[in-house]
Amino acid sequence: MTIVDLTSMSSPQVGERSEINNRLKRLQEEVSELCYQCGKCTAGCEAHKLLELEPHKIIALLKRGLVDEMLNSDIIWTCMSCFKCWQRCPQAVPPVSVLFTLKNMAVASGKEIPGSYTQMMQSLMSIGLVSDVQSVPTQDGKTVSRDDLGLPPLSKPVDAQKFQAGFMALAMEKV
Amino acid sequence: MAEKKTKDQKIKLALFPGCSMPTEQYGYELSVREVMPLVGIELVDLQGFSCCGEPMKSVNALMTLYLSARNIALAEKEGLDILAPCAMCHLALSDCMHVLGSDESLKKRINEKLGSEDLEYHGSAKLYHVVDLLYDVVGLEKIEELVKKPLKDISVATHYGCHLLRPTVIGRPVDAEQPKKMEEIIKICGGSAPFYPEKLDCCGGIVQFNLLESALTKTGQKLKAVKDAEFSCFVDVCPWCHKMFDARQQKAAETVAAKLDVPVLYFTQLLGLALGVDSKKLGLFLNQSPMQKFEEVF
Repeated sequence: MTIVDLTSMSSPQVGERSEINNRLKRLQEEVSELCYQCGKCTAGCEAHKLLELEPHKIIALLKRGLVDEMLNSDIIWTCMSCFKCWQRCPQAVPPVSVLFTLKNMAVASGKEIPGSYTQMMQSLMSIGLVSDVQSVPTQDGKTVSRDDLGLPPLSKPVDAQKFQAGFMALAMEKV
Repeated sequence: MAEKKTKDQKIKLALFPGCSMPTEQYGYELSVREVMPLVGIELVDLQGFSCCGEPMKSVNALMTLYLSARNIALAEKEGLDILAPCAMCHLALSDCMHVLGSDESLKKRINEKLGSEDLEYHGSAKLYHVVDLLYDVVGLEKIEELVKKPLKDISVATHYGCHLLRPTVIGRPVDAEQPKKMEEIIKICGGSAPFYPEKLDCCGGIVQFNLLESALTKTGQKLKAVKDAEFSCFVDVCPWCHKMFDARQQKAAETVAAKLDVPVLYFTQLLGLALGVDSKKLGLFLNQSPMQKFEEVF
């Protein structure tokens, strides 16, 4: 497996999918038992007004096992991970965790990853951070670097290969 | 819960910088490095830290756990507790401790992989954010003693950031619905931090990766409310939130068709000013939001 495979997920990953499937199943059992559709999650949802995310409906769809429908919808990528739904649920159901799991499943199923996630993933794999060190503007129009500001060297994985070996092994592990 | 340390006891913590702060949000790093020694906290720089994994949780949550465990293991190897000034990093590391604390088999699986870097996760390190470190460990009393330039007539809109506030179940450093640690520190420094209804609103930062317009709208809506309430300034404690409110303020203003001129500072910059630190050392000249309004009153 190469970086490209892992970031584009060009071939669906059997091991990872079965792991995520187990997570989804556990969540499904949990929500089926606990959620009574009070809608408090949607009332507080930061993505609701602007992007029409309705966490209680996500939970309702999961209860009914309509996972593929959600994997194929952009709506799962509108969550702002503000964690209000989990915090405020009277039954301690975490819709935000369901959404993370659904997004993970969409990625592992080879669906297109939106936005700049692929780019961040590539940066993470090559230097261990989602972005590299930048020079920044000052109020009076100059540009300064970390060094100019007297900050110590950037902390990042010392041996990039060993660093990659660890989490690639985790990603490829068959469960 | 952290115990209060006596006055002169030095506390040593590994500074876990994450990605955003040490690659572009230098104002935060500068002010954290200036303020912490003043209040008796010694920061230790370790080589080898990586991303906490939280920005990639939507892609692969297992990887997030692995990366967080890896960073905690690095600090544990040196026998140090951790300061994570980024709210997102703090959440990731807290979540990792919460999950691995009750899942021995997953902990074992992750430790097998960490072996490739000669690391082992134990979950014994204590984790702090700037806010609880100042409030719970340093304490109001000590901060009050150190104030050199009171924040007279300054009214501050505080923003904790979602990742610092919730979810309580994994252990968060502040109250989810009525946080008041920053407010009390600001008060002890001579300023005020009145309540405003939008205080707990999200900056939108997470969807900047795939829905930038919507992210900016969230930022703009919150800043507009802060402007209308006529605060002297707005403070935050997360580099991702700060980038939205500070550097992207003018773009955010366009999305909500408003004129915005809210001075946005890191909480540690404001505190540093109150403790008499030169504004240059705190990196105030790196803030991109209009600072004039704040400088007129301070």
